[in-house]
Amino acid sequence: MTGAKMRDRHAPDPLSAHPVKLRLDGVGKRFDTGAAATVAVSDFTLDVRQGEFLVIVGPSGCGKTTVLNVLAGLEQPTTGSVTIDGRSIRGPGPDRGVMFQDYALFPWHTVWGNVEFGLRHGPAGEGLDATARQKRVRSYVDLVGLGGAETKYPHQLSGGMRQRVALARLMANEPEVLLMDEPLAALDAQTRLILQDELLRIWGQDRPATERRTVVFITHAIDEAVFLADRVAVMTTHPGRLKAVIDVELPRPRGDATRALPQFPSLCQHIWSLIRDEAYRATVT
Amino acid sequence: MSATAIRDLRVPGDRTPGHAWPWRGLLLPLALVVLWQVWGMVSGNVRTPLPTRVLAAAGALIASGDLFSGITQSLGRVFAGFAVASLIAIPLGLAMGASRAVERNVDPLVESFRPIAAIAILPLAILWLGTGTAAAVMIVAYAAFFPIVINTIAGAKRVDPTLLRAAATMGLGKLKTLRTVVVPAALPAIGVGLRIGMGVAWTAIVAAELAVGAKAGGGATGGIGQMMFVYYAYSIELNRIVVCMIAVGLVALALDRLIRLGMRLLMPWLPR
Repeated sequence: MTGAKMRDRHAPDPLSAHPVKLRLDGVGKRFDTGAAATVAVSDFTLDVRQGEFLVIVGPSGCGKTTVLNVLAGLEQPTTGSVTIDGRSIRGPGPDRGVMFQDYALFPWHTVWGNVEFGLRHGPAGEGLDATARQKRVRSYVDLVGLGGAETKYPHQLSGGMRQRVALARLMANEPEVLLMDEPLAALDAQTRLILQDELLRIWGQDRPATERRTVVFITHAIDEAVFLADRVAVMTTHPGRLKAVIDVELPRPRGDATRALPQFPSLCQHIWSLIRDEAYRATVT
Repeated sequence: MSATAIRDLRVPGDRTPGHAWPWRGLLLPLALVVLWQVWGMVSGNVRTPLPTRVLAAAGALIASGDLFSGITQSLGRVFAGFAVASLIAIPLGLAMGASRAVERNVDPLVESFRPIAAIAILPLAILWLGTGTAAAVMIVAYAAFFPIVINTIAGAKRVDPTLLRAAATMGLGKLKTLRTVVVPAALPAIGVGLRIGMGVAWTAIVAAELAVGAKAGGGATGGIGQMMFVYYAYSIELNRIVVCMIAVGLVALALDRLIRLGMRLLMPWLPR
C-alpha cells in the first residue's frame, strides 16, 4: 500500500522531463592493435537523464566497458562526442565516480581507509574538516553494512564484502554520476540478489527521482538489468552498437515482489530475443 | 621475501614435521664444522685455520676490543653509505618506474654502471674524496645503490593499473597519485631492494675500507674490512680473517632481520 502511495507521489515526474546529464553522440572507438584495427564501438548515440538508472546489457565483447570508460574519461572516443551537462568530457573527474569490475580496492588501506580515500586525497573532500569526513565515512560504511569490519584489510574480506567497500567508496565521494562496470558479476547468486536490493536502496529509489543520482550500470545478466533499470540499453557485437533501448516501467520502489510481476519475465524474454542470435553465434564460433 | 615465499608453498594443514625442533637448522653447520676440524687436523699445517684455532682467535679479538671497535666503525660506514644509496635510489627508482620518459633517459646510464664492481671505482673515490671515511662511504653507497634502484623501479612499474585509474577517477593529480598509490604499492619491492642493498653494502665494505689507508700491524682503526685486509696482506693471520668473516655474516644477518621486521611493521596489510 505504501508502495502504491509513493508511486503516486512520484508518478507525475517522468524521466523524459529531467535534464540530460550524459550525452553520447555518434561515439565510435577504434583500437589500433598492431596490424589490424578493432572497432570496439560504432556510432553509439544515447542520452542519459538526470536521476536515471540506465543499464547497458549485451554479449561479451560488445563494447559495454568501452562505453563506460569513455563516459569516465578513461578512454577518448575516436569519433563523435561525449558530454556531461553539455560540457565535453576530456578526462576522468570526481563528478563521475567509477566502480570497477575487480573493485580496485587499495590493498594497503583498511575498509575505513578505502572508503575515506577519495575524501582524504581527492577534491571530493575539499571543504570537509576531519570531523565531517569521519561522519561521512561512518555513514557510508554503515549504509553498506560494513560496521564492525572497518579495520579489516581487503584481503581479509569475502568477495561480497569487497564489493560493498567499493560501493561505499564510490558513494562516499558523492559523485553526480555513478558508473558501474559489472559490479556484481563476481558474486554468487544469493549475494547478488541481496546487493541488487541494497543498490537500489542506496541509489535512493525511495526518494523522489529528482534527488537520485545518475547511474550507468553494466551487466551481462538480463534479469539484473530489468530489476534495476529505468531503461535498458541493449548492445550487439562486431562492432559494438546500440541495438535498442527498452523502457522498464516496473513500479518503484522495487523488491522481491518485482521479480514476481508478470511483466518481469516477459521483459527479460524480450531483451534476450534481441541478443540471442548474436550470443549463440559468439558461443558457437 | 623469497625465503618466506618458498615456505608459504607448504599447503595449510601440512603436518610434515618441519618446525618440530627449533635448532634443527644448526645440524648441518655443526656437521660441517666437525668435518672441517677433522679434515684440517689430518691434512693441514700449522697455519690452516681450524675451528679450534678460530675460536681462540675470536677470544683474543674480543678480549682486546679490536673486533668490537672494528665492527662499530664499519657499521657507521655501512649505515652512512646505505642511507646515501637509499636516499638517491628510492626517489630515482620511483620516478623511473612511474615515468617512461625518465626511465628512457636514466636507464642506460644506470645499466652501464651496474656491471662495474665497487672495487673498480676505488681509485676514483680516493681521487675525489681522498683516503678516509668519505671515500669508503661512497663505495658502499655505490654498491648498495643498484639493488635498491632496480627493485624500486620494478615495484613502481608493477602497480595495478586499475588502482591508478581508480585514483584518476577520484580526481587525484599525478604527484598525489605517486604519493598515495605508487609508493605504497611499491613498498614491498622497495623492502626487498633494501634487504639486498644492505647485504651488498657489507660485501663492499672490504673494498671500501681499502680506501681508508692501510695501517700495517693490525689494530682496528680502519674497520672490519680493513682488519681483514691487514690480516691477509701484512700479518697473515688466517684465523682472524675467518673470525671477521663470521662477525660480518652475523651482523648482516641481524640487520636483515631488522629490516624485515621494520617492513612488516610498515606494511601491516600484507598477509601473515
